[in-house]
Amino acid sequence: MRYRILLILWLLTDLCVFVASYALAYFLRVGFIFSTDFPFEPYIHVVALTAPLWLIVLMTTRTFAITRSQCTVRNLAYIAYSALVGASLFALSYYFLYGLFFSRKLIIFALILSTLLVWVWHVLYSRVQRTLLRKDPPTFPTLIVGVTRESRKLIEKLNKSANPLKPVAVLDGKGCKDSEIDGIPVRGKLNKLDDVLDEGITHLIQCSDQEQSLNLLSACRQKGITYMLLPSVLGIVERDEKIETLEGQPVTMVSPKKNPLMWFFT
Amino acid sequence: MQAFILAGGFATRLWPLTEKRAKPLLPLAGIPLIEHLVRDIPEDIPITVSTNAIFKDDFEQWAKSYGRNNIRILIEETKSDDQKLGALGATAQWIERQNISEDVLLLTGDNYCGFSFDTFLKAASPDTTLIAVHDIKSLERAKQFGTVLADDTTVTGFEEKPREPKTTLVNTGCSLLPASTLPILTHHAKLHPDNVGGVFEELLRQGKPIACFAFSEPWFDIGSFDAYIEATKELVGNRIIEEEGASIEQSEVTGSLVIGARSSIKDSTLEHVVLFEDCIVEDCVLRNCVLDKGCILKGIDLDCKMLREGTKLLQNK
Repeated sequence: MRYRILLILWLLTDLCVFVASYALAYFLRVGFIFSTDFPFEPYIHVVALTAPLWLIVLMTTRTFAITRSQCTVRNLAYIAYSALVGASLFALSYYFLYGLFFSRKLIIFALILSTLLVWVWHVLYSRVQRTLLRKDPPTFPTLIVGVTRESRKLIEKLNKSANPLKPVAVLDGKGCKDSEIDGIPVRGKLNKLDDVLDEGITHLIQCSDQEQSLNLLSACRQKGITYMLLPSVLGIVERDEKIETLEGQPVTMVSPKKNPLMWFFT
Repeated sequence: MQAFILAGGFATRLWPLTEKRAKPLLPLAGIPLIEHLVRDIPEDIPITVSTNAIFKDDFEQWAKSYGRNNIRILIEETKSDDQKLGALGATAQWIERQNISEDVLLLTGDNYCGFSFDTFLKAASPDTTLIAVHDIKSLERAKQFGTVLADDTTVTGFEEKPREPKTTLVNTGCSLLPASTLPILTHHAKLHPDNVGGVFEELLRQGKPIACFAFSEPWFDIGSFDAYIEATKELVGNRIIEEEGASIEQSEVTGSLVIGARSSIKDSTLEHVVLFEDCIVEDCVLRNCVLDKGCILKGIDLDCKMLREGTKLLQNK
């Protein structure tokens, strides 16, 4: 419930930020007055019409996903792409409704402002959201399976960055000497899986014990839990994997390192 | 004489097959592992099975259905691995609380021994501890067991899980302890509650005689998935064991296959596979796999997998 309210609030505030950034672009272009040559009312009317469409485009980039880190170049790129589509939709809508084109400078201002303001807002909002989602009881209690150096790093990162996926327990197939990792209790071996999952776990991250992938996935499916797997469990450690499809069949792909431009084509 | 079977472990290495059942109740070649032991113990010997609170009901139900009236289930009040009394601790507690003053046939419930207990008991001499030993012919594997140095049938040395084994002759979890050794056992258990093999080292240290009963029949310590599959291969051979209501249609089978009650197999290729109850396998290729109760597999190829109860893998075409 907490997450749903925060998400709805996020979507609504995003609409407001988008409209506000276009309003700001208007005033920057025409000055802080309501121009009679270029009336504000029809302008903001078209912006309001365009905003939901822009939001849909932004949602398709999965920017609002709980696993997405807002403060990254990749996320900025997605927001910029959506803003570009938003600006195009706005210009087209304005032309369709009023048969007019207008200031190219204003479009550029609107594009830049909608990109930057939305990004800044996302960074700020996600920080608040993360804090609220991690408050006890956490919204997304997460179980870590497998004690390895990588899983230790992962737990530390999730805690340090206040990720919404809050580790609450660790299990290890072969047992481990530690009683806790970065404050997270190590509850024992996999024979405790059922008990731990029944404590309201929403996400399970498998970090080792490859031979148990099927069983962990099966337990997650039975209990409606999201299953995640570190690529290192499969021996992919250089973080160059991609999930692709071959004739509709999903495949994990690791390509040889070539010219970076080939990323677009291989 | 009394028989005491240790069945209090949580068998974490056999997860997920032991997620909801104790290892000694795991079916091996169609019947629970513990039954392979119990059915061979002479009828007049009372049997006590020591287990933990988690598996209490399962053992009681098993004892009831097995129908031998001198089996008693002793519950160790532990609910997790870290609260365990220890195998030797549990034995000592039973000896003290029940004032046992007879010889004790001590067995570990997760071992399969191919020899007859009658023969084993006949090999015993008064006031001499007897250990059943097996030559596993691998020094590397011997590191995981208690190794026995023997001069003909007299045990001259015992080392529990040695780093560098001197012999491939190992303790198989079946021993006969004369009543006179029980005080040594209970005293030793106070110091080392989890080290059953340590008792034999202690007996030797105190100059008590130990004899060994070497056998060449199959022996398995069902401690891991590989051991479970190997034991199945050996005991089932190139046969198909079909339990009540099981069915197999248009399938190719190589090696051993155990089909649990009400399980069905159709259009599949199987090699060394064990299906527990209520499984459905269609259009699959399975090799060296064990499927727990209620698994449904369609259009899947798997090799060397244990699947937990209720796993559903349905390939989208």
